[in-house]
Amino acid sequence: MANIFPRWTNLLPLKIAFCAGTAAVGVVAAFTVYATPKATVVGYQPSQPIPFSHKIHVDQLGLDCRYCHSFVDNSDHSNLPSANTCWNCHQHVQRQSPKLEPLHRAMDKTHPLYDGKPIQWVKVHKAPDYVKFSHSAHVNRGVSCVSCHGQVDQMEVVYHAKAHSMGFCLDCHRNPADNVRPLEEVFNLKYDPAEYLKQHVVLNDKGERISDPKEFGKKLSDVFKLQPRESCATCHH
Amino acid sequence: MSKRIWQHPEIPADETTVSWRSVGQLEGSPAFREYMDREFPASAAAMADEADAETSRRSFLKLMGASSALAGLSMVACRRAEKYTVPYTQAPEWVIPGKALYYASAMPRATGAAPVVVTTFEGRPTKLGPNTLHPDSDGTDAFVQASVLDMYSPSRSQKILHHAKVATRADLEKALAEAAASGKIGFLFGADESPTRTRLSKELTAKFSGAKFYSYEPLAPAASAARAVADFSEADRIISFDCDFASLDPQGPVTPFFDRRKPEGKGYKAKRDVKTMNRLYAVESIFSLTGGMADHRLRIEPSKVLGIAAAIAKKLSVSHPLVATAAALDEKTQKWVDAAAEDLLASKGKALALAGSRTAPALKAIVQAINEALGAQGTTLKVLASDNAGFGDIAGLKKDIESGAVEYVFLLTPANPVFDAPADLAFVTTLQKAKASFHLGLRTDATAHAATWHIPAAHYLESWSDARSASGFHTLIQPMILPLYDDCVSELELLSALLEGKLVTGEESAAFAAVRKTFASDAASWKKALREGFTTGTSAAAPMPSIEAPAPSYQAVSEQSLDVIFSTDGSIFDGRWIDNAWLQESPDPISKLTWDNAALIAPKTAKALGIYDQVTELESPRAASPVDGEAGNRRAPIIKISLGGKDIEIPVLIAFGLAENTIVLPVGYGQGYDAEDELSRGPLNATHVGLVGVNRGVNVYPLRDSATTYMAQGAKVSLTDKRYSVALTQEHHAMYGRALAREISTLDGEKGSFEKQYDAVAKQGNDSHAPKNMSLYKQEGSKTWDADKDGNAKPHLSDDLHQWAMNIDLSSCMGCNACLVACQAENNIPVVGKEQVAKGRAMHWIRMDRYFAQNKDNTFDADSPAMVPQPVACVQCESAPCETVCPVNATVHTEDGLNAMAYNRCIGTRYCANNCPYKARRFNYFDYNKRNPLIAHNLYKGPAGVTQVGEAPHLQRNPNVTVRMRGVMEKCTYCVQRLKDAKIRQKRGQKQDVLASGKTSPEVAVTAQTLRIPVDSVKVACQEACPADAISFGNLLDEQAATVVRGRELARSYELLHYIGTIPRTLYMARVKNPNEKMPDAAFVGTATIHMA
Repeated sequence: MANIFPRWTNLLPLKIAFCAGTAAVGVVAAFTVYATPKATVVGYQPSQPIPFSHKIHVDQLGLDCRYCHSFVDNSDHSNLPSANTCWNCHQHVQRQSPKLEPLHRAMDKTHPLYDGKPIQWVKVHKAPDYVKFSHSAHVNRGVSCVSCHGQVDQMEVVYHAKAHSMGFCLDCHRNPADNVRPLEEVFNLKYDPAEYLKQHVVLNDKGERISDPKEFGKKLSDVFKLQPRESCATCHH
Repeated sequence: MSKRIWQHPEIPADETTVSWRSVGQLEGSPAFREYMDREFPASAAAMADEADAETSRRSFLKLMGASSALAGLSMVACRRAEKYTVPYTQAPEWVIPGKALYYASAMPRATGAAPVVVTTFEGRPTKLGPNTLHPDSDGTDAFVQASVLDMYSPSRSQKILHHAKVATRADLEKALAEAAASGKIGFLFGADESPTRTRLSKELTAKFSGAKFYSYEPLAPAASAARAVADFSEADRIISFDCDFASLDPQGPVTPFFDRRKPEGKGYKAKRDVKTMNRLYAVESIFSLTGGMADHRLRIEPSKVLGIAAAIAKKLSVSHPLVATAAALDEKTQKWVDAAAEDLLASKGKALALAGSRTAPALKAIVQAINEALGAQGTTLKVLASDNAGFGDIAGLKKDIESGAVEYVFLLTPANPVFDAPADLAFVTTLQKAKASFHLGLRTDATAHAATWHIPAAHYLESWSDARSASGFHTLIQPMILPLYDDCVSELELLSALLEGKLVTGEESAAFAAVRKTFASDAASWKKALREGFTTGTSAAAPMPSIEAPAPSYQAVSEQSLDVIFSTDGSIFDGRWIDNAWLQESPDPISKLTWDNAALIAPKTAKALGIYDQVTELESPRAASPVDGEAGNRRAPIIKISLGGKDIEIPVLIAFGLAENTIVLPVGYGQGYDAEDELSRGPLNATHVGLVGVNRGVNVYPLRDSATTYMAQGAKVSLTDKRYSVALTQEHHAMYGRALAREISTLDGEKGSFEKQYDAVAKQGNDSHAPKNMSLYKQEGSKTWDADKDGNAKPHLSDDLHQWAMNIDLSSCMGCNACLVACQAENNIPVVGKEQVAKGRAMHWIRMDRYFAQNKDNTFDADSPAMVPQPVACVQCESAPCETVCPVNATVHTEDGLNAMAYNRCIGTRYCANNCPYKARRFNYFDYNKRNPLIAHNLYKGPAGVTQVGEAPHLQRNPNVTVRMRGVMEKCTYCVQRLKDAKIRQKRGQKQDVLASGKTSPEVAVTAQTLRIPVDSVKVACQEACPADAISFGNLLDEQAATVVRGRELARSYELLHYIGTIPRTLYMARVKNPNEKMPDAAFVGTATIHMA
């Protein structure tokens, strides 16, 4: 009986195995790079020129977010404070702290290293150039800083708390009720809806008092007439 | 042609109007068919031949394999690099990072400063819009829009030069001191007016007894004691003689003229009334945009315009010695003249005659006499005292330099006198006779090289100054940014330096003190004036200056002795914009030529000269001229023009509607050539221009003398055997279809009365018998059927706050390029360069179609077609053909009715462009933003090419619009960034409501009123720029309150290509012509409905 398979097929299983192997390695590599949390830079925590602690300033001292990020409810960008904002307090407080040297360089004309040049903070959160994200559109409509940036008030050093992938945006745009809160509570990073409902009487359509945070979220998105968009041009133009 | 083509319905045989885009189409060239059939010309995607295609495909696969392997290796390095956020040290007042800041300012111009509002982002001026608070605001034309790019021009002058070598500021100050010591100083200003400059010049006269002042711009009339300004709001009847007052030769704010082109009035608020419309008669040789708007246009050789004007004056019984020059006219023309004159006289006190500002003094004198007879002065014409009274002209400067009365010259004019002064003055030799000359300019042009000193000028967006607007309002100019380069000096700083002995620029600019001193009023009114951009005081009224003009003698014209017009160029004006890429690439409004100039000649004359056939055959065999392996080069023949003993060689194009026996030569081109020049004219003056302006066109100024600044006689033409590539866009993206642009007449015609024609606009062409478009998804009686009170299906709206829509009113659109350039500035549209334009790859989102149409039966003048412009951008179809074919959903509909483009999602299949019946989509064949397309062959070098990242023009980019890269489709999205900005701003209202109510936010229900932006409060870039108010834009849900809704409910609104059923959101409104029934050509006016098949 003649051979069913010609001679050249001897190496075929090997070839197939090699190709399949290469493809598998490729898929794994691609998955690692683009689809694991590392790709979305969750946990990215660069060290800053001044080790600024949000925990001290926000949690212990009770500064409002908008003292430093002053235009967050006004502009698309949430600005970093200009050096004169830091200097407002630090020309009096902790003035001698060596950690503040970059600030002295920028602001303190009596400092030997003074050059008036701005402080270069390392960027933690970055939207790609083709994404237009507006802070004011969100914070003015009941979405808190916490929803995207995590418990910044508890951070000694700021890190990238959540994956800012498109899926992350869409989850909330499709179901805003989970993240919306009263406008007064947007900058209160310790807000707890259950606690809020205990202190405030909020009635539903039937006139009953709401105690379930989920129902409260739905009520808020109705009252606020929230219609978050999902079409491409909402963020890409 | 493998593409399946939609069969548009045929044009019926009894159609009387013939319409065409180009001479090629008129002659039935196969090349034109190809343009019509394809979304991009074939060459735009073609390989040179089959073998090339095969090798390219293989090498592409090889490269792809290699690059994906490399990508795999380097994937781990794809992590984000460390980036920095750098906030201010001391936050400046008013600056909010990410938000635009607006300032009122003005652009100084010879015809009156253009009041503008400047958009700045963190101190960078990025976009100009009109200052609508200003009484003289009439939109912004293409030049104003493009002027912002000049500030960032990479070829802008940056250093002080002494004999064309870099010098220091201390050297310059020494030279200035020398000039001051001599005291015999001549100042050559531009033709614009500036109160502060006038004040300083008086102080200079007081300080230096030998100071003399001159004003010069090549295309502006010499300074006089008074100037007349037209008030079009009062003018019922207008006659213009070689005067392009609507576009290139403004005679006063022009928006009121266009308001009266709409039968329903400004904003479509009134009921249609023909009596409110004005009527325009144009007597002209060139086909100007004003001529295109005219209800009656008489085309005639430039030397015969005076005869027509005199004939009209005679009919009006004007007593003026020049009336004797009235030409003996043939019967038809005599009838035209008589009827026009009667009509003008019937509107006495509300009529106006205008002569082009460069025409012969005799014509101006007779037009002035006509205006007197019509009672124009004080009603439709106002005469104002000029700030520049007493200034000499350039011939006077020449005389004074040569006599030694002026030893030091300051050349402060925006013109380029060494290049553009009349050739007989030989200004460059005169300049050398001065002890020293100082040139202040933005470019290192011919004058900069000829002058002893060149000082880089601060742009008007970088300096303090003031100016007079068209009606003489004192208008302030304030800096947006410090000069980009340290050596820059402004005109007022230089004058102050001579007065005070010290050159003070930068933050402490002496110009500020000078402007503030002129203003004189208290701090509160100064602040108000800075905010609003002007003060209410205007120039004083003055008596009409008398014009002394002897009757000129003109020779007879024939094809052996042609008239020549040195015309203002629609792209680069007098040559000053030669280094402005936006203007160079915007197609000339009439000839549709980009990047070059060409002689224009009427078809009959061309036939008589025996060159017509050569000109219509622009197409050369493909293989003959492949550039970078790609075809697509159309080449025009070159003719030799001999005039007054001088010759030039220039490419020639056919121009319809141009007077016979006339050649039009657009000025300003040919300022410098390098070794890359197609006709090997270089290297010649290559350093006078930047990459944009080098090798562009032909210099026609050498033919122009002091006596012939506008028009010359006795030119001879002969054909050479050379050809030159021309980047003509008239056939690119040509659309099929019937009744594309529609026109009706206010007279009873074969289509019935005005009312009947008006009501039947939407039924023109195929739409008269096409069945109603019906939705597949909303059949009557089905579950989704939801009828409104009239029984029609209600639209499904997923956004009940905003539904955007636009109207384009062809009745007031003249076809200038203002919208096109405004769109380019707003939307970061790249420049692609001449070679790419020639291949049909221009990226302009707005395509300014320009059609010619002629009535077959026209017995008055069968060679004088109507010109119909039609701007076409994406019309945002509700049922968009592009969306259904995109394989990756990169183009989808938004809830508020836009056809959006997600650039980051686009993979560049170009299916959408293939399926767009309007041809409104543009494709990035190369990375035009990153790679500099102006360097020869650069695009084809791939990664090895020269990049332009980080160069100054990138500072102009709008930060709210993605900069697209290679392989991405793009198109108009109704300035979606502006719409979003407005919506987001509006959302802040909720907080205000909550605060005002004193309750907590969960208790305060948000209303639609809070979230919907105020009526007509958002303007798109094209609408804002339009001087003719032809574009209205707004929210359909605002109903009657919105201009756009009032407009589209009128019967003269129609959908472009309605019968395809795309349901576009942009509607067009038919052009209404208002002819005089007594005119011999009345029956042929208002019939120019355009069919393309």
